[in-house]
Amino acid sequence: MGVRIRLSKQTLQVLDTLLARPGQWLHGYSLSQSTGIPSGTLYPILMRLDKLHWLETRWEESKTPGRPPRHLYRLTGTAREWAREEIRVAQEQHFWKPAEHEA
Amino acid sequence: MSMATQGSSVTARLARWALWCAVRHWPEQNRAWGLALAAEIDETASAFETVRWSLGGIMLFTRSVLSSAWAWMKLPAGSSLSGGVDGPGGPSLLPRRSRVFTAVVVAAAAALLILPEGREAIRTVRSSWQEYRQSNSDDGTLNELGVRAEREKDAGTLAFVALRSRDSRRAEDLMERAIGLDPEFIWVYGSRNRSWPNSEPPKVQWLARLQAADPNNAVPYLLEAYQAAGPDVEKRYFGHGAPEDADFEALESNSKWMELMERAYGSLRYDSYFQRDVQLTRKVWNRETNLSPLVVLSGLWSHGIPNLLNLRIFADVEIHEAQKARAAGDLKRAESLLNRVNTFGVRMTDGSETRIEKLIGWAVSLKADKELAALYSSAGKTEDEQRAMARLNEIDERAKEMRYAHNPAHSATALDFRKMARLVQSFAILCVVGAFAAIMGILMVELWPNRIPNAHAVWRKAACLMADYGPAALLVGSVGFLMSFLPFQRAFEEYRALSNGLPDQERLMDAMWGLLEIPEYMTGANASVSTWTIITIALTALLLFVLVHGFLHSRRTAEKPA
Repeated sequence: MGVRIRLSKQTLQVLDTLLARPGQWLHGYSLSQSTGIPSGTLYPILMRLDKLHWLETRWEESKTPGRPPRHLYRLTGTAREWAREEIRVAQEQHFWKPAEHEA
Repeated sequence: MSMATQGSSVTARLARWALWCAVRHWPEQNRAWGLALAAEIDETASAFETVRWSLGGIMLFTRSVLSSAWAWMKLPAGSSLSGGVDGPGGPSLLPRRSRVFTAVVVAAAAALLILPEGREAIRTVRSSWQEYRQSNSDDGTLNELGVRAEREKDAGTLAFVALRSRDSRRAEDLMERAIGLDPEFIWVYGSRNRSWPNSEPPKVQWLARLQAADPNNAVPYLLEAYQAAGPDVEKRYFGHGAPEDADFEALESNSKWMELMERAYGSLRYDSYFQRDVQLTRKVWNRETNLSPLVVLSGLWSHGIPNLLNLRIFADVEIHEAQKARAAGDLKRAESLLNRVNTFGVRMTDGSETRIEKLIGWAVSLKADKELAALYSSAGKTEDEQRAMARLNEIDERAKEMRYAHNPAHSATALDFRKMARLVQSFAILCVVGAFAAIMGILMVELWPNRIPNAHAVWRKAACLMADYGPAALLVGSVGFLMSFLPFQRAFEEYRALSNGLPDQERLMDAMWGLLEIPEYMTGANASVSTWTIITIALTALLLFVLVHGFLHSRRTAEKPA
């Protein structure tokens, strides 16, 4: 495994959501909706994951003129493995369990 | 559209606007994340969601700003988060210490100087640099104190301010209010006798009231007598060498002066109210500990005492009269006149609280006793002559002791204070130089990249040195300044705490005059000598530094493998 980091429950929640649709690009707002994490907490998590190279990001050109481009996120291939491992360990240690609708 | 929806849309618009404002000022390093967050706000489903999203963004913005500021603070002055500053000849020189380190050092120095002890030290040393001249800010402090005392009807503080105020009209008002509230303070009439910058002797009507309230005291009569005679007495007396019979006759012809001086010499007490002034000063200073020592003590320094020359002239007039009586064979009158002068001298010495008054009292007694000894000798009264001679010797001894102790060259306390004052003043100068170097160095280094792009490297190096070592010099100076000022602080504390008159007063004066010695080097007659001495020492120190630095540098270069 690559970089082992101490993950918070919210980070595990974000990883779990990203893992639910592994190849799919997700917007920040839809991530916030799925995890129930507010923007002020979600973005620092995304920034941290990006810094660790767990996250792939890209800008999506706006379809509506005048609107700013949106940012998209998904886990990198290797990060998916690490994320699954982290989630498994967290569940074994009863530190975190996935939300009911996702379990 | 309902009112509620309209209100929500206004709130949502406001939230959106606030978030985009934050994005505009987002730190460069992670502005992309701010843009990413802000771009999602249009996806929110309700006004509540919009506000929530915006608040989260503003929180993230605050966090980013703080973390950028902290990262910036961890860098040396003059560098930026975008990767330092490059000068024309490659990477620019930067100070070694981080901004945080500099800020902590400066804050520590400031915290020390803001302590009550630090503030008192600064006030005192600043006053000594102004040669203990009452400044406009001191006047302002006194004025505020006076206004508060008027409001609180505090007679003591009113009298205290009246004795120190440079505004004679205001002082008079305060004096009247103080005496109106507590007639015990009537002595203030005789104590406000400022001679600088303008001569302001006590008014005759004040002295009349004081004489009525304190009829057995010689001082109010002496104060009035000096005004009755004025400089004319001194002029006549000193017009031509030793006074002649005609001069004495002219003096005696001033009946008003003669009458007042005779009343003074015949009074039962001599009290120039100095002790009362000291006690009042102590009381107010204990309550108002933030007052500058200068403001506190200026009243004591300008405390009015009778004109001592005038007083001695009258002694000479009386002695001259006694000599005439003796020549005429009227020994009884001569003895009576001389005894009166002698008694006055003794009363003055016993009743006064200042050295100079005591010394003049002894001088008056001494003259009278000499004449008495001569009178008794010529009359064959051996026992009386011996008594007079014994008194003469005793006075001589005591006066010698006092003069010796008063001479700063012999007083151990004064010498100690002088030595300590040098340390205090040196550390104070180090503080000023350190603060100046720190400010100049930091400003130059911070502004350099934009303002002086082609400046010479030597100047940039000098700026870096100042930014690195200025704050440290300030901190060292502050610690040293406070530590070296402790004995002075103790002298102030002792003065405030004890009730023993003259010794405390003198200890305090020794402390204050000790501090004045250094500024005198800068402003006195030898100012140019001391200035050149300092310049020579500074240049020598600089030369030594350059030589040692160069030697160490060349050794390091030689040790490095090729």
